[in-house]
Amino acid sequence: MVMKKLFDHGEPSYEQVNQDVIKSLIETGPKYWMLLATTIGITVVCFIIPWMYQIQTGIGVAGMNRNSVWGTYLSNFIFWIGLSHSGTLLSAVLHITQSDWRKSIYRSAEAMTLFSLMVAATFVMVHVGRLWFVHWSFPIPNPMGLWPNFRSPLMFDVMAITTYLTASTVFIYMGSVPDFAAVRDYSSGLRRKIYTVLSFGWRGTAKEWHTLGWAYTFFAVLVIPLAVSVHSIVSWDFALSTVPGLHQTIFAPYFVCGAIYSGTAGIVTVMYCLRRFLGFERYIGKIHVDYLGKLLIALSLIWTYINIMELFTGWYSGSSAEIEFLKFRLFGFYAPMYWEMILFCAFVPLLMLFKSVRLNWNRMLVISILINIGMLTERFIIVSTALPRKFLPDSYGFYFPSPAEISITVGSFAMFATLFLIFIKVFPAVSIYEVKETLNPLRRAKKT
Amino acid sequence: MDIIGTFQYEDDAISAAEDLRAAGIKNVSLMSPIPMHAAEKALGLGKSNVRKFTLIGAILGGLGGFAMCVATALVFIMPTGGRAVVALPPYLLITYETTILIGVLSTLAGFFLVAKLPAWKNRPYRAEANVNRFVVAVENSSGNETKEAEQIIQQAGALAIEQIGDIL
Repeated sequence: MVMKKLFDHGEPSYEQVNQDVIKSLIETGPKYWMLLATTIGITVVCFIIPWMYQIQTGIGVAGMNRNSVWGTYLSNFIFWIGLSHSGTLLSAVLHITQSDWRKSIYRSAEAMTLFSLMVAATFVMVHVGRLWFVHWSFPIPNPMGLWPNFRSPLMFDVMAITTYLTASTVFIYMGSVPDFAAVRDYSSGLRRKIYTVLSFGWRGTAKEWHTLGWAYTFFAVLVIPLAVSVHSIVSWDFALSTVPGLHQTIFAPYFVCGAIYSGTAGIVTVMYCLRRFLGFERYIGKIHVDYLGKLLIALSLIWTYINIMELFTGWYSGSSAEIEFLKFRLFGFYAPMYWEMILFCAFVPLLMLFKSVRLNWNRMLVISILINIGMLTERFIIVSTALPRKFLPDSYGFYFPSPAEISITVGSFAMFATLFLIFIKVFPAVSIYEVKETLNPLRRAKKT
Repeated sequence: MDIIGTFQYEDDAISAAEDLRAAGIKNVSLMSPIPMHAAEKALGLGKSNVRKFTLIGAILGGLGGFAMCVATALVFIMPTGGRAVVALPPYLLITYETTILIGVLSTLAGFFLVAKLPAWKNRPYRAEANVNRFVVAVENSSGNETKEAEQIIQQAGALAIEQIGDIL
């Protein structure tokens, strides 16, 4: 078996790895601050202010109505949960399988998971309207004597997302502790004090590495089934209803596959940005884009198959309600969006079969963005075409997102970008010690 | 007194740690920029106790989660279409999630306890151990032990030996 090169521009030295990664943390130019100010500005204007307006006015400012009780907020929630799926999951799977190519990309992929989950959790609060009652959905005592109903799929969601957020946070933090120590040793003043606290006094003793290795592997083993369970559970929010188009046994694998698909495309986008704006070309190279491209092709084919099956089971059921729903989805008002989704998620990714496309970062960036536009559309289509077509014609309705919903959707991307921009200045975006593990070992036997 | 030996090569550092242990010198630490599985053997580090925390935490989390669901159902009885008050399928989902949640948190606690972190007190340390050097430290040695330790570290090929290192 031919081993592919991990580094396109030659293997860096151990010192070089420290310098390159820490430089990305501490050297901050005016462009970064301008970008951060822009994303914060968009978040406030497009997300916070419309949300505050909605809180003050009522949930009626959203386009949701009697038939379509779920709208863009819920579809965005699914999208962001989905986007969160590849980071931690891929990192854990590749850690267990001891894949070296994971080591320079996993930290930022895990960060993507964490921030996507945060944005997704925010959408739940936006959707429920009266967010000051959100704590009622947690099993904690309250003056009303209320307690959650654990038979509800919405409670499955609460438990699953809480667990996933906690596990993802612990997973990324624990993997970063040795790197925080490296930053601590490179810093002075307040930054040194902060990183001393963040690194817990890590010295890199054999005992510490040994313990971290065991703990990290256990985290990975626990996280893999958790990630699969989370999006299955999100799918059951829909599939456990009896609404035509939603009551599908294929929904759990459909959602999990879609989530990993969308998340992997998200990783390509994030990796492009890390290469382009933080100068990590040396660490994120052809091998990464090649493997991620191949993974995207495989996921695209599975996703396409599941979509065909979804249509087939609806048609084969012979149920008039299912047929009506299919007609509405394929040829109704939202049909252009449905076919756009099919184009972006089923056909465009086939371009990656060509090596010239797969190894070109610019082309891969375009494809990854198109895939995520398609996946965002998919989530919207699920909500907006099923609920307005229930069993009886008198329950037919229509849903169109209001300006507040559209604005909050746009703002959520700025919120994600803000969180990520803060991340790259706090966490080493590329794992220092794991990249060093892929270099030639510093052994006397290797001395030439 | 703490003795710190800095090495360029990991096999030299591991050999020094092995020799120090063989000479009966205690409190030997081996610091490195990356995990070294050979060092774990040299220092006699076997299976970590972290796994016990994970197992016990996961079991307690599972039992706790299931008990919470059953207790909720029995205290707040909600008869639904003649279905079971204590419904196993949904409760197993909650049980699954709490198993993992408490398993993760107890693994985290296990990591801190076993690795003895956080530890911000002064301990022998060299910042190069986070870059490209391997450091062998002997803590709290005295008298003949100090001399013997220095000799072993020197013979193993240390680049530098200090009696007081950087303080973390």
